[in-house]
Amino acid sequence: MKKKALVVSAAGAVLALGLSACGGGGTSTPAATEGGGSTSAPSAGAAGFNAGLENVTNPSDAKGGTLKMAVTEDWDSIDPGDTYYGMSWNLLRIYGRPLVTYNPAPGAKGRELVPDLAESLGVSSDEGKTWTYKLRAGLKYEDGSPITSKDVKYAVLRQLDKETFVNGPTYFNDWLDLPKDFKSVYKTPDVNTDSAIETPDDQTIVFHLNKPYSGFDNFAALPATVPVPQAKDTGIKYRDHVMASGPYMFETVEQGSRYVLVRNPNWDPATDPIRKALPDKYEISLGVEANDLDNRIIAGDLHVDIAGTGVQPAALGSIQADPALRERADNPVSARTWYISILNDNPPLDNVECRKAVIYAADRVGLQNAYGGQLAGDIATSLMPSGIGGWKKLDLYPTGSGDEAKAKEALTACGQPNGFETTMTFRSDRPKEQAAAESMQQALAKVGIKLTLKGFPTSEYFTAYAGKPAYTKANGIGLATNGWGADWNDGFGFLSQIVDSRTIREAGNYNLSVKDPAIDALVDKAFGTSETAARDAVWGEIDQKVMEGAYVLPAVYAKGLLLRGKGVTNQFVTGAFDMYDYLALGVQQ
Amino acid sequence: MTAPLDVSGDELKATPESVAEGAGAKAIQGRSLGQIAWMRLKRDKVALTGAGVIIFLILVAIFAPLIVGWFGHPPNQFNQDQIDTMTMIPKGGSGISWDYLFGVEPVNGRDLFSRVVYGARISLLIAFLATLLSVLIGTVMGVIAGYFGGWVDMIISRLMDIFLAFPVLVFAMALVGVLGQFETQLQVKGDSLRILLLIFVIGFFNWGYIARIIRGQTLSLREREFVDAARSLGARGPYILFKEILPNLIAPILIYATLLIPTNVLFEAALSFLGVGIQPPTATWGGMLAAATKYYTVPHFMFFPGMAIFITVLAFNLFGDGLRDALDPRSGR
Amino acid sequence: MVTYIIRRLIGALAMLFVVSAVTFSIFFVVPRLAGVTPDDMANRYVGRAATAANVQATAQKLGLYDPVVVQYGRWVKGVFVGSEYDYGAGVEHCPAPCLGYSFVTKQPVWPDLVDRLPVTLSLAAGASVIWLVIGVSVGVLSALKRRSIFDRGAMIIALAGVSLPPFFTGLVALSLLSYGLGITAPGGAYVPLSENPAQWAYSLILPWLTLAFLNAAAYARLTRAGMLDTMGEDYIRTARAKGLKESKVIGKHGLRAALTPIVTIFGLDVGILVGGAILTENAFSLQGLGKYATTAIAANDLPKIMGFTMLAAFFIVVANLIVDLLYAVVDPRVRLS
Repeated sequence: MKKKALVVSAAGAVLALGLSACGGGGTSTPAATEGGGSTSAPSAGAAGFNAGLENVTNPSDAKGGTLKMAVTEDWDSIDPGDTYYGMSWNLLRIYGRPLVTYNPAPGAKGRELVPDLAESLGVSSDEGKTWTYKLRAGLKYEDGSPITSKDVKYAVLRQLDKETFVNGPTYFNDWLDLPKDFKSVYKTPDVNTDSAIETPDDQTIVFHLNKPYSGFDNFAALPATVPVPQAKDTGIKYRDHVMASGPYMFETVEQGSRYVLVRNPNWDPATDPIRKALPDKYEISLGVEANDLDNRIIAGDLHVDIAGTGVQPAALGSIQADPALRERADNPVSARTWYISILNDNPPLDNVECRKAVIYAADRVGLQNAYGGQLAGDIATSLMPSGIGGWKKLDLYPTGSGDEAKAKEALTACGQPNGFETTMTFRSDRPKEQAAAESMQQALAKVGIKLTLKGFPTSEYFTAYAGKPAYTKANGIGLATNGWGADWNDGFGFLSQIVDSRTIREAGNYNLSVKDPAIDALVDKAFGTSETAARDAVWGEIDQKVMEGAYVLPAVYAKGLLLRGKGVTNQFVTGAFDMYDYLALGVQQ
Repeated sequence: MTAPLDVSGDELKATPESVAEGAGAKAIQGRSLGQIAWMRLKRDKVALTGAGVIIFLILVAIFAPLIVGWFGHPPNQFNQDQIDTMTMIPKGGSGISWDYLFGVEPVNGRDLFSRVVYGARISLLIAFLATLLSVLIGTVMGVIAGYFGGWVDMIISRLMDIFLAFPVLVFAMALVGVLGQFETQLQVKGDSLRILLLIFVIGFFNWGYIARIIRGQTLSLREREFVDAARSLGARGPYILFKEILPNLIAPILIYATLLIPTNVLFEAALSFLGVGIQPPTATWGGMLAAATKYYTVPHFMFFPGMAIFITVLAFNLFGDGLRDALDPRSGR
Repeated sequence: MVTYIIRRLIGALAMLFVVSAVTFSIFFVVPRLAGVTPDDMANRYVGRAATAANVQATAQKLGLYDPVVVQYGRWVKGVFVGSEYDYGAGVEHCPAPCLGYSFVTKQPVWPDLVDRLPVTLSLAAGASVIWLVIGVSVGVLSALKRRSIFDRGAMIIALAGVSLPPFFTGLVALSLLSYGLGITAPGGAYVPLSENPAQWAYSLILPWLTLAFLNAAAYARLTRAGMLDTMGEDYIRTARAKGLKESKVIGKHGLRAALTPIVTIFGLDVGILVGGAILTENAFSLQGLGKYATTAIAANDLPKIMGFTMLAAFFIVVANLIVDLLYAVVDPRVRLS
């Protein structure tokens, strides 16, 4: 037994040695000189922990090489009209160009919208109900055919068909002024849709909304505006061959396992001021085991983890322990909150004091630890993440290791001085949520609230259990782990889907607990406010109302510990996605 | 929980120890298989050690609360002062100390010693009973199919094939989908239902494997000379089955049973991972192994539950070997 | 013999039918019994921004409103004559054997399975040879040197292999050997055999060993037991008495009889393995059938699960058939009645 212990710890030591040996110094490969002698000098770019948050690390204009990316799971689709993952919104811009996109720059500058296919940002008229964009001249697809405004219109219209493209967001469905008889581009191809989108000429596109929205450029930045030529559209099969409008096109498409992208010969840099298009090739592997993925990035066998949510717990420990690795790490705050919904359907949680008791009793530090500790998130004081306009630090509840006295007070106020019993659900395939549930169970037991824990797989969590009111009511579910990330960084992009009680359906809900007419009214008020600062203030008010009603127990504003790849140039964290920007990357040879 | 011991116990009950212990002259007059086996087993130090360890493990499981009371902390209690909050791993790497004999878990600092001790309860229970269930069904089906042959064999063999061809994990997943609903309808809750369910799923869907081996062995034993001899001497079906064939099957059955136990512990790990396992925070060895994979750079987290499984497996194999040798009429020495 | 094989083949077909029906009912009937509605099922496949209308349209499109028997009939029909699929911009014919389209990725299932089969076959072939060779030779040596240090040591190592899950051994092996020492290929490295046999073996050696480590124990234990049994038999004594060389006694007489149970479990194990080594493929990021099944199960993608289950069942049925035939070869006394 003892011998075995020695062997195991020796193995650990070898592992650590191996890691530090690999982690030392910059590049071990000789610098090839295709792009001249411009391989990065250490002084040119910033280096060290968190250097990628505000600076371009390892800057270089050297072209060539193969950038190797990987992801642990498959993503929903590479079809720009059919995807809802931040990582794919970020990545798809290497092969597709939306009307408008996020500035490839570090930090907050990365949140600025810049024109992409369009010559400039949108021009609004009719008090924000009409938006006009003019396309640049000389745009071409990978096959050399020209890109026109009609292709953009077609792209937006086709993805309205949520029977075919189930994954994408529904913003255009909800906001465009569509004719009543329009079903989909496939079922009703002849219906005139000019009331929603007009294309007076091949360069101009005009959107008509059914209600004013001053932030329409956020919509224009959605992948849905990446042009799709109608002649090449094959519905759901389009993902097998997406027509490239950006600098790279697909060479190999093996769904669920591998993609290879090579240079698009018909992409003209003159039409594209924002893309550097440095690598010759992108190799993307899917379904890579999570710990193995981290190890390969540490070793230099891979360059980028596309998911961009941070390394696994095991690598987190290695990175902390090894200064050379820590130099390569960035720790950005994301526009994502991990929280616990407090369901108010069943007594005694229908009483606000009982919900408050849960929040008071919760061990907020313990929850932070459950989600991965200080590097994985800051203790949250409200639902809306701190990077979003209108956010203000709320101080409604203590954020220590649980306030038993206040919790007991609240319990007495709600008529349950000895506590009560309820059930908490979590996603069983997410160890962090399991740890959070266990932490809640321990903390709440101290004030007499007895939690029964129930885990369900992610694929069924919202559709059959926590997100299905019939189930939660019948089974007395009181608490449920939850998490939400912004579609884009404003109150609308974050809150609108999770606080509006009118969006609650029979099943598949993400808003499990915020059901308050006052909040619904505020959501409408925010939609109707055109001035940005005023609108942000309304979203901030909503955030406060959610906390006052004790509808959620916020756990952490998520952070990810990202690792910069070995020999990757121009790597920095963009504020738009809170992960590395995938437009600027290059690779040293 | 005492399944494998029971098997041997039944074998031994027929002949009191004292007879077997008897003087040489008397013994020569004829000792039953059980008597001889018991004598041999008693001489086999290694097998006895195995048996001792098995009894020890069972005692640990039974007296878990007492043991933990003396040497550990409550198994579900968080000890976050033991954790480095930057990396979430225990301070000093493992947190092993006189206070925490096996160290603590990453993230929440639960006492690993207590969890391994408590884990023995559910893991052994599920693994033993599921193994017993598979072996029982498998042996009965295998012997019947192999011995009787013909259409009986045809039907049972196809049944085996169906069970074999069917991925258990898939069935388990389907179960997750409906378990929540069934719990609502049946108004039952808690670990006991889950434990029964796991025993059923693991045990009932694994009998095909062992049945095929037993069938194959029976098939070939049926044609052996000694069976022919017995038959020609006028022995009938039941006699041949129980006296001639079954004793010869004990070796593969034991080996299978002892190998199935760790498989079942690990199966429980996979099911925990899928969310059909025992619900947290209840500790099981399999569940701990699944959790430890996330922290594979913290070796002690995997080492202690892994070691517990290993010791269990080893003990059963040593004891199983001894038993096999003791029961084998031909293995002279 | 020929009629026996034909009869077994027909039996095998019937079995696949039963397996498909059972699988189908587990995923479509049991949930209904538990109160899951077609809308609930459709809800899993409509993405993040679903409205009630979307859910119903999806349920309609996937045919979830039809009685389960009708759905099963449609599936069976697809296997034999193919089926049609509406991909939005048109309708595609999926030729037989059509195992349907993924509810999630909308890809036809059959080509995916065919794509991934070589990976799993490679994994199974290499690993099974390694564990068979190691398992049987360790077993024979252990039996001959019974209770020696070698016997005990071999058993302990073998049992350690059974006690550790491959997702752990795989991870540690990769960390140490591939990233630490750099002597083996990194995870996810698979080179087809047809492309470069040496690279093929290099890229798979670690997964092979990991898988073999897990399975060799059973073979060593069974071989040892079988050898001990047979070496005590009268005919072995007779063979020795005849003055045959010990190596011949062991090889020709002893091993042959001891192999009967080995053949059974080897056939089964290979059959099961070809149907997907779920944990090992995941640990090494190999895009084989097991990985495919994991994704399908996690996403509750019923057509994929059906397709995978049927293919796995097919291999197990074939393996069983081969095992039964081999019995006759290894042990001629077994009649093929």
